[in-house]
Amino acid sequence: MKYGFIIDNRKCIGCHACTVACKAEHEVPIGVNRTWVKYIEKGTFPDSRRYFTVMRCNHCDNPPCVEICPVGALFQRDDGIVDFNNQRCIGCKSCTMACPYDSIYIDPDTGTAAKCNYCAPRVDNGLLPACVNVCPEQAIISGDLDNPQTEISRLLGRNQVTARKVEKGTVPKLFYINGEGSAMVPMAAPPTNNYQQFEQAAGVGHYAFKAAKRAIDIESEIISSRGNIPTGYQEENKSKYGVTLADGGGSRVDLMAQKATRTHDAPSKGILWGWELPAYLWSKAVAAGLFIVSSMTAIFSPYSVTDQFLWFSAITSLIFLVLTVLFLVKDLDKPMRFFYVLLRPQYGSWLARGGLIMTAFGFFVMVWIIGQLSGIDAIKNIAYIAGTASAVFLGVYTAFLLGQAKGIDFWQSPLMPYHMLAHTIMAGAATVLLYGLVSYDMNIIEISKKVLMGAIVANLVFTLSEIFSAHSTADQMLAAKIIFGKKYGNIFISLVLMGGNLLPLWLLVKAGFGLLLIPVALLVLLGIWVSDHIWIRAPQLIARS
Amino acid sequence: MFKPHYKPSLIERIAETLHLIPKLHGEGLNDHPLSDKELQSYPSPDKWDHWEEYESKKWPRKVKKSYSIVPTNCFNCEAGCGLLAYVDKETNAVKRFEGNPWHPSSRGRNCAKGPATINQINDTDRILYPLKRKGERGSGEWEQVTWEEALSDIAGKIAKALKEGRNNEVAYHVGRPGHEGYMERILNSWGIDGHNSHTNICSAASRFGYAIWHGYDRPSPDHANADFILLLSAHLESGHYFNPHAQRIMESMMNGTKVAVMDPRLSNTASMANYWMPTQPGSEAAILLAMAKILLDEKLYNREFLENWVNWQEYMEKEEPSKESTFENFIESLKSVYKEYTPEFAAQESGADIEMITKVAHEIGRAGSRFSSHVWRSASMGNEGGWAVARSLHFLNVLTGSVGTEGGTHPSAWQKVKPKPFDNPPAHKFWNELHFPNEYPLSHYEMSFILPHMLKDSDKKLDVYFTRVFNPVWTYPDGFTWMDVLTDHSKIGLHVALTPTWNETAFFADYVLPMGHSSERHDWISYETYTGKWVGFRQPVLREIARKQGKKFQFTWEVNPGEVWEEDEFWIELSWKIDKDDSLGIRKHFLSPYRPNEKITIDEYYQYAFEHLPGLKEHAAKENLSPLDYMRKYGVFEVSKKASNLHLKKVDTTGAETDKKSGIVKKDGKVIGVMVENEAYEGFPTPSRKQEIYSQTMVDWKWPEYRLPVYIKSHVHQDNIDSSKGEFTLLPTFRLPNLIHSRSGNAKWLVELSNKNPVWIHTSDAEKLKVKTGDLIRVNTEIGYFVNKAWVTEGIKPGVVACSHHIGRWRRVMDPNGNRWASNLADVTKDGSKYKIRILDGIRPYESEDPDTSRIYWSDGGVHQDITHAVHPDPISGAHCWHQKVTLEIAHYGDSYGDVVVDTEKSMEVYRTWLKKTRPAPGPDGLRRPLWFTRPLRPVDEKYYLK
Repeated sequence: MKYGFIIDNRKCIGCHACTVACKAEHEVPIGVNRTWVKYIEKGTFPDSRRYFTVMRCNHCDNPPCVEICPVGALFQRDDGIVDFNNQRCIGCKSCTMACPYDSIYIDPDTGTAAKCNYCAPRVDNGLLPACVNVCPEQAIISGDLDNPQTEISRLLGRNQVTARKVEKGTVPKLFYINGEGSAMVPMAAPPTNNYQQFEQAAGVGHYAFKAAKRAIDIESEIISSRGNIPTGYQEENKSKYGVTLADGGGSRVDLMAQKATRTHDAPSKGILWGWELPAYLWSKAVAAGLFIVSSMTAIFSPYSVTDQFLWFSAITSLIFLVLTVLFLVKDLDKPMRFFYVLLRPQYGSWLARGGLIMTAFGFFVMVWIIGQLSGIDAIKNIAYIAGTASAVFLGVYTAFLLGQAKGIDFWQSPLMPYHMLAHTIMAGAATVLLYGLVSYDMNIIEISKKVLMGAIVANLVFTLSEIFSAHSTADQMLAAKIIFGKKYGNIFISLVLMGGNLLPLWLLVKAGFGLLLIPVALLVLLGIWVSDHIWIRAPQLIARS
Repeated sequence: MFKPHYKPSLIERIAETLHLIPKLHGEGLNDHPLSDKELQSYPSPDKWDHWEEYESKKWPRKVKKSYSIVPTNCFNCEAGCGLLAYVDKETNAVKRFEGNPWHPSSRGRNCAKGPATINQINDTDRILYPLKRKGERGSGEWEQVTWEEALSDIAGKIAKALKEGRNNEVAYHVGRPGHEGYMERILNSWGIDGHNSHTNICSAASRFGYAIWHGYDRPSPDHANADFILLLSAHLESGHYFNPHAQRIMESMMNGTKVAVMDPRLSNTASMANYWMPTQPGSEAAILLAMAKILLDEKLYNREFLENWVNWQEYMEKEEPSKESTFENFIESLKSVYKEYTPEFAAQESGADIEMITKVAHEIGRAGSRFSSHVWRSASMGNEGGWAVARSLHFLNVLTGSVGTEGGTHPSAWQKVKPKPFDNPPAHKFWNELHFPNEYPLSHYEMSFILPHMLKDSDKKLDVYFTRVFNPVWTYPDGFTWMDVLTDHSKIGLHVALTPTWNETAFFADYVLPMGHSSERHDWISYETYTGKWVGFRQPVLREIARKQGKKFQFTWEVNPGEVWEEDEFWIELSWKIDKDDSLGIRKHFLSPYRPNEKITIDEYYQYAFEHLPGLKEHAAKENLSPLDYMRKYGVFEVSKKASNLHLKKVDTTGAETDKKSGIVKKDGKVIGVMVENEAYEGFPTPSRKQEIYSQTMVDWKWPEYRLPVYIKSHVHQDNIDSSKGEFTLLPTFRLPNLIHSRSGNAKWLVELSNKNPVWIHTSDAEKLKVKTGDLIRVNTEIGYFVNKAWVTEGIKPGVVACSHHIGRWRRVMDPNGNRWASNLADVTKDGSKYKIRILDGIRPYESEDPDTSRIYWSDGGVHQDITHAVHPDPISGAHCWHQKVTLEIAHYGDSYGDVVVDTEKSMEVYRTWLKKTRPAPGPDGLRRPLWFTRPLRPVDEKYYLK
């Protein structure tokens, strides 16, 4: 049994009955959709036409959302339906990044992920999905792909079909008869938030949380805004509530040489991984890097290191580890369920694995503390080695998590782990350098300077490669353009390339041991944070549907 | 490829055992007991009394909830598609609406408005109780009253008017009827010519175009069996009966049938069409007649139908008296009449592609009797002389012999079944010139949209005026003139608004009485949505459940939410109260057929009606059900599957006289049919009993130039539009598949899809104006202007601009909250005759019991355009010609988005200008109106004469 869908565009009239029937069936809040209809218009009058494309979960046979969910809240049934369990969901939103089809939303009622689940409650009760039933044209066909006698199988056999982003390896089970190319490739007709029949003025889904407060704030503004009604036409990307102008922030590139415009769509769900994720990346780099650099210094330095230094490293590492966890918890839409990552793990996900790694790392730092307090060197040595190994994984594992986020092409980079390792070492070395400067430890300063310079060079190589080397997809290329282009270009060049790498590198070479190195270390740390911020944010501007 | 099993890990199981985390397992998440079987569309009716399903919100936990499923029919448009209401047994409230698979028209499927009905039911701003105005009319202050008080007050005023012989001062004005035959009975029992409707802003011109041919006034296309379809409409996405039509058009398309569409705008329908002819508004008749010419010249016409069923003998006698009256001479004469309508001429007038015109004509010829076509509003209702568009379209059906055939276009009346009333009051004896003024003797329905203008320009008044699901201040052209009149107590005595939601007209009422939605009212419905005949039953589902539970109650408002009532019962109670002392002769028309001398109940009304519905008794008996119980159970009954070629029904000529010349068969002074080839058939309800290509009526009523189908240049013909001055034709009537005029404003799922209505403008025109998408423009009409945003597109014909009909709702600061999903907060001010609307605020999130209200993510409520349109009553059909000649310019400094300005003195001038185009009654014999013309709430024949 393998359930799938066909959307028959020979018949679909773009009437939105499916959109509404689904809302009714599952009491879906406004602003988010389990299924919706995108309108594309192309051509020059009178040879112009409008195309309607029903969008929703493709119930992939190899679902990336199931793989990435750290707590198994998304799962694949043995009849092929990809379903979800909102009692397990912690609201980490990894699934929204993993889905190449933008089909998952955060339910503002529950703070958990939701999507089309093929009306599993109906199917298990012997009924067809609600959208299939309501469609005036019977343009949605559901059924068992494994059974050659079903309508869906027969149609698949005798009709030409397309599916979205097949090259991602998700094995989507939703097929379009007469699918339109500029609808299949989102950035070929990018979203605008200013459509023929509505304009988005505020956030939805995850961002609708703030809605209630906004409603009250606004009451008092009403009469005072006489004559100046907010039309909702947003300036580019400026919104407290995550509305994005997702045409790549002005870096539009025509992917198909036909001028196709998107004239209706579901509202944009915004940038779902906000400041918390880059913050977690940054503090994690400090925690891991500090331990690695100080452990390696302790083991390999020709000079002996002070206990003060080692204590500083261990405690500071722990503090930053806790900070990392706090940032992570802050990001969750169900923060009280954060420990599910450890207690309801789905180990296919690098987020769940990361939970183990964090636990292991924390454990080995504690082991070192025990070793230090008990004075048993063997324990300390175990801690150095095991701790360093886990710290390397700690610093780098998010690259693998991002790699599981199949919706974001830019993160499918083989260079990402090395980039993150470089960040880790940079962060660690910069922190150690700060310690050295503040406590006048010349040996520490000497060693950390060398490590930092090496790490910066490595970082420059990996970072610039990620931007300038060959990209395998247009979406990757677009993300790189955004980072180096109008939207983030200035910040990237000034705060990351210059301020975070080149300037520190030059000063490290030139400036000896002076206190000038304190701002250098701080600039390096700032550069890492800004770089992470851009790396997480910019690619989310590329539309996935 | 990592495929995790849904099996909790060891850690999870330990954590659950230690009660660190809640236990989530135990239910077999891979247990799918029923999904191995073939999935059904709907629960079978034997399960409707007790239906169990899993709660979606608790999924994947399998928590069952039980429902009673009760059928009803949708009230959101006149298609009356079937709905099943799922009533939660625990809360006794409707949870959700789905389609009714038993409904032969909608077949279980609905448009977006069907499932969205639950939004209208649950609207937190809903009017739940009868309200009476507290302060001045329009001041926004309301107090709750009882139904008893409201009924007594209103009944008293009506009784007084009737007793004082002021019968023409009582009127009922309906927007959305949603029923058959009910109000005629009521109004006749009161003895008033008191019916007014919205038809003349809706479809009256198309109707006239059909009626002048064959008496029947609406097309019922058999799309499902057609070999070629021509739409002057957007019926794959909107319009009258769109869901059932769209289903069948698509079925045909999938079978290879091709579709042609005439529309200046790229609708979804035009997108799907094989042939899109973007026409200059008003030029459509030129194309249609060019196609007629091709059919004539190339002998693609159906000789048999033309020879037998068209009044060509009358034509020859009057048009070609010198020639011999033969069919061949008739064809030759027609060819010469239409020789100017070349494809070149048609292409020049319309801008359509000349090859496409010819190709479509050939396709129509090839389709022959399987040619289905449709026009309801669009070009007919947009243009002066638009009725000629419908007349020309029907001409093609006549030429191809596809009138009433399988795959052809039927007269709608063949598909309609009216209820047999338990009591039939005699026709009333009045003629209300506020409804049928003498200037418009041929007006197809009431001159509803010039009611306020006629009131202003006369001494007439309406003492009691009902607006029923009717919002003229907003939907109609020149809404400010309505506002003037509605606020004038000397013109409108008592204004009673019967409505399911707040609307711009109800703000100016004296009583606002809430009437139920789809699942909260009784109605008998029967519409021409395909070639079969069906009757639907709309019922208050909670009442039905209460009845089955043996609960005691009297009126629907006792079981509906709040005290929401329904019209059917309201009118019975009101009529009873009007005739308090039984002196007006009204009560006798409300006596139960089952319990002598007792007031009829609504159940008895329908019991009687269903008992007398042909075929239902026998069909219901198969299930041991009474006819009423059958309709309660299934909500619908298909009377017959097919009703084609009814003009060929033979008539019994025993005792009848036949006129040798005309072939008309009369019995007892009544015309019953016509002789064709020595057989007596029913024919069509015209003077000749045939299709009238030659209309003596047009000659008799002073329009001889239109005695034959011809092209009439529109009031927005290119001759009248100077593009160098920034003049355009505004097409204001296009609709969206998910909205319905005033009634979708409180349906959140519908409004979140569409809440602004920018002005569509072609790229080349935008360039000339130096306008980009989103820029503010001022659209100047004859009587004012509105300020809207531009939407630059390749989906509209250059020279034409378009703005959607459904959007631009508003409420003033003093008005009660309503439709806050869709309505802007507006300041409405008046300075002399000049009105202005300025939007204070767009749409905002707000707090309520519905958490979704605080999540509103749009703020743009669109712009109210209709109110800036002057009235354009077509001198012949009486229909409002919607298209407006407008001048576009960049918004002025100080203009604000949503601004509306109108000078009602200018509107009166335009009204008087168009009045001058008329050729008023009397016609022959001192008639006000041709006797053979039907009329809603037809009076006794003697009132047809001007005395």
